Amino acid sequence: MTSGISTIDGQTTQALQTALGAEHAAVWCYTLAVAFLVEPQLSQARRDADVHRELRGRIEQTLSEIGQRPVSAQPAYATPRPVTDAASAAALAVVAETDCLTAWRAVLEQTTDKSLRQAGLQALTDATLRCAGWRTVVGVTPAIPPFPGRP
Amino acid sequence: MTGLAMTRRRLLTALLLAPPALAACSSPRSAQAEAPDPLVALATAARADAAHAAAVIAATPNLAGRVAPLRDARTAHAAALEAEVAQQASTTARATAQAEPAAVPSTAPATLAALRAAVAAAGDAAGKVAMTADARRVGLVASVAACCSAYAGALG
Repeated sequence: MTSGISTIDGQTTQALQTALGAEHAAVWCYTLAVAFLVEPQLSQARRDADVHRELRGRIEQTLSEIGQRPVSAQPAYATPRPVTDAASAAALAVVAETDCLTAWRAVLEQTTDKSLRQAGLQALTDATLRCAGWRTVVGVTPAIPPFPGRP
Repeated sequence: MTGLAMTRRRLLTALLLAPPALAACSSPRSAQAEAPDPLVALATAARADAAHAAAVIAATPNLAGRVAPLRDARTAHAAALEAEVAQQASTTARATAQAEPAAVPSTAPATLAALRAAVAAAGDAAGKVAMTADARRVGLVASVAACCSAYAGALG
């Protein structure tokens, strides 16, 4: 049905906007989490936040270049559970990375553009490793999800 | 219109392009009209990796904690990929070419290093298939690729 479309169409744009929203949320989550984390997780969270900031900047630039207005970050996000200590902060990082996995897999599903698929797969792979790190901290098994991004 | 599409693609290439390590995966293409379903090879590799992981655990029980999740993941990959192959075969006339999920006996040594290399190769292979897979399948194939690459990184 959608095969054969190799331009950045509306569906792809929407998927990119959703990915941008997930990256915005991830940056916010890590900003909150660092207030509760201790080393070595604190440094890890700062590194991961930087990666999300860079990725979100790239998506914003890409959307702007194709004439789309990138969605803005929310001033704050509702966390699924209260964040009150290191453990709940790490759990929030798992949530943030899991949401990013879902969003990036959706980008792959909504485009046939090879360069965008390549970028999406890289983002999915990188987020899988970050997610695995936080799942290990929280004690979720298996650390590496068998089907990263599967809704 | 084609010109505009190309421009957009070039922009994405410039802005979102994957780093060199992964860019190497994008070179060859293998999707021909007559070619067998590329997911068959991915499923076969998943079965082989699961058996390989089991052999590593048998040889070195201390590694069970690290390797058993990989064995389980690759078993799950094989089942999901085989289901997708069967689904496709039932909706096309290509059923005859698919029916050989022969479990290739692994000749790779039952070591963590060999297993890691195998799963890294499986991740690369799935990543290549993901570049051209149908919209309906690309999510599954990309998830398999990301999972394998993550294990290759974690076991390295």
